[in-house]
Amino acid sequence: MLDPFQLPFVQRGLLELLILSIPAGLLGTWIVLRGLAFFSHAVGTAAFPGLVLADGLGFAAPLGAFGAAVAFSAGTAVVARRRPGDQDSLTAMVLVGCLAIGVILASDVFRSGSNVETLLFGSLLLIDGRDIALAAAAAAASLGAAVLFGRRWLAAGFDPTAAKSVGAGAPYLQIALLGLIALATTAALSVIGALLVAALFVVPSATARLWTSRMLSWQISSVVLVAVEGTAGLWLSVKTNAPPGATIATLSGAVFALAAAARAMPRPGRRTCLSAAVAAVAFLVAGCSSVASNDSGKLQVVATTTQIGDFVREVGGNAVAVDQILQPNTDPHEYEPRPSDIEGAAGAKLVFANGDDLDAWIDQVVSESGSEARIVDLGAAVPVKLPGESSGAEASRYDAHWWHDPRNAEAAVEEIRRALIEAEPSNAAEFRRNADAYLGKLRALDRGIAKCMDSVPATQRKLVTDHDAFGYFAKRYGITVVGAVIPSQTTQAQPSAKDVSDLVNLIEREGVTAVFPESSVSPKLAETIAHETGASSDHTLYGDTLGSKDSSGATYLQMEAANADAMVQGFSGGKRSCSIHGIG
Amino acid sequence: MIGPFSDPVMQRALVEATLVGVCGGALGCWVIFYGLSYASESLAHGLFPGLVAAALLGLPLVLGAGVGLVAAALAVAVASRVPGVGRNVAVAVVVTSLFGLGVLLALSPASPPGIQALLFGDVLGANDADLALSGALALGIVGALWLLHGRLLAVGFDRDFARSLGVSAAAADAAVLTLLAGAILVGVQGMGNLLVVAVLIGPAATARQLSSRMAPMMLLSVAVAALAGAAGLCLSYYAGTAAGASIAAALVAAYLAAAFGRRSRLPITVEEVP
Repeated sequence: MLDPFQLPFVQRGLLELLILSIPAGLLGTWIVLRGLAFFSHAVGTAAFPGLVLADGLGFAAPLGAFGAAVAFSAGTAVVARRRPGDQDSLTAMVLVGCLAIGVILASDVFRSGSNVETLLFGSLLLIDGRDIALAAAAAAASLGAAVLFGRRWLAAGFDPTAAKSVGAGAPYLQIALLGLIALATTAALSVIGALLVAALFVVPSATARLWTSRMLSWQISSVVLVAVEGTAGLWLSVKTNAPPGATIATLSGAVFALAAAARAMPRPGRRTCLSAAVAAVAFLVAGCSSVASNDSGKLQVVATTTQIGDFVREVGGNAVAVDQILQPNTDPHEYEPRPSDIEGAAGAKLVFANGDDLDAWIDQVVSESGSEARIVDLGAAVPVKLPGESSGAEASRYDAHWWHDPRNAEAAVEEIRRALIEAEPSNAAEFRRNADAYLGKLRALDRGIAKCMDSVPATQRKLVTDHDAFGYFAKRYGITVVGAVIPSQTTQAQPSAKDVSDLVNLIEREGVTAVFPESSVSPKLAETIAHETGASSDHTLYGDTLGSKDSSGATYLQMEAANADAMVQGFSGGKRSCSIHGIG
Repeated sequence: MIGPFSDPVMQRALVEATLVGVCGGALGCWVIFYGLSYASESLAHGLFPGLVAAALLGLPLVLGAGVGLVAAALAVAVASRVPGVGRNVAVAVVVTSLFGLGVLLALSPASPPGIQALLFGDVLGANDADLALSGALALGIVGALWLLHGRLLAVGFDRDFARSLGVSAAAADAAVLTLLAGAILVGVQGMGNLLVVAVLIGPAATARQLSSRMAPMMLLSVAVAALAGAAGLCLSYYAGTAAGASIAAALVAAYLAAAFGRRSRLPITVEEVP
């Protein structure tokens, strides 16, 4: 059985969690005592605009998050001074302001922000020395402040009026506490994400509060509980291949529920409850210890997207074991790497990536795994490139959806063949044979789609879809892209009323007969617009990802053929369809 | 002339924004009075396990979300009765655990992709079914607030005194939280999950600066919500900004104008006790 704590990336995550347990446990007790749970949650969520700015202008994400957290704390303090009263509704209003700015920046100014979602959810497995240094700074600051201000914070917590009379109500004390919470929350963001920060900062302290009432023992037991729950959650997450943040959150919530239930019980019942809990945990752990399978003797290769996984399986055949990171129907724009991905990369000799910022996380996955694997950027090898649409320093130069032109797929397959032969020359003959057969099918696909499209008059080939993923397909087959429902290359943007209204007018003016929702994005807006304009929205396209095994888009060839069929049916009002021979 | 509300998508968005505003505006006053601002911001994340469970069982997503929200709301009501745990801590514990559980459940291969996006809507994407659901829930919430008005006031002012009148504080808490679950269900479909707090707190916090009595405050709050909804959609139409965020920005502007335009905040006063 593999011990998770022997893996370097897990060790680093564990170190980060253990350091964070000091500020989380210490500040957690003040958060519970002073009723700051909402503030501690809001200060993390309010980092959103800072993260979008950092992403758009190209500076360090923690800096952006901390800047936004400071601005949020200052904003709350200013409004609270001008309008003393219900602290929570003030916090909520300042938070709404921050979020509105964040969404507008992401949708209308930078039109990118593809890294924002990962930062909102955090990733314990992708931390670097900078994160650990930040956590250590937060730990040192909290320890120092707890020694210096602890007594006065305690006094202000129990009786604010009396505290004022003994000089413990000074504004700098409150500011120091809020500032520390902002700093520590920022340090925890990259690890556990804004939505789950409370799993470290509130839940363990609240659990410890159920069993102790003296301040010192409460603080010590909070720190210990954060460390224990963090360690156990991390271990479980590697064992079950689940995201660490969600595992820790669920675990700490369960511990709280058990502690509260045990406390509510009469004394004799407590022992039964405790033994039941221990038995349940043991059962869970036993059930989770799965055996990792290992295709020994084969060339280990990692592919990031579903399309690339399909290409590599076709070329590699039986000689290659492909570890494909994205599963069918996953949106690559919002993927969070999991423990198995890093383990997979650790054993791989080659990593095939899409490039053009679609799977930017792969560099970190590979470096985190300590692997020597070569990363092959297929996007850099394809002949047909369209410019990327987004602005901002982090935006990609080229549209990342290059696989929708089969000629690009051919070039990618040739590049894969070259890399595989270089990595394992003894199987060169098999790789060449597989690649030649597959290249023939790709050419048949290209010819077939072109023939199908020719059956529809060029003036009827007008495409309206969920997001601009089909630029390459449209260019190759003479299709006019009239508009997109989400007019940006990332699926996280929100449209404006003007965009939607303009699109409706455009569809009516151009006589577009069909709007095509994409299979991995919410079809609601596309359906509403289709309904409004009398166009049909019955034909779904495969954009960013292949479909699941039993769908019509399970492989690259099937996906592109299905897209061609859907478009021909949509363009012709259902009168024609498209079936392609020579690709089966 | 082609105004912003000449085409049906915008007309429907306006109706949806107004219905969301009626729910959020009326209930928001009670949310602030009962100290539930944090719950109104975070309960939207607590519906996640219900949503995923519904998807896995093949039930309608809205049903799963509704059940998940009510369960989360009641769990908050129960957890906040644990001694030593305040209501805000209860919200943090319940929402964090439920959200984590939802993320774990969603790892199941059978759960549909982008499941959050399937529920969390956009005010511009509202269809007839959304409008019908919003209308029904708005009616239900306003009706329930009408019926419970006296009892909620009594508990809000003095829990012990309310008990002597035969009004249970626990029942009142549970009622407000359940209504909040309904309002959030409407809100997430109109505003998305991040910005639902805007319509629940914004109008009521604005109205509170202008009125001290509960009933006029609620009317003002609904009016502010409806106006901000229309203003936000106009802003989104003319300036080309994201629709939900524009409505939130209009609400923040209204709040700032009310908060900094007046000298002092008025306390909530009793107009009637049954």
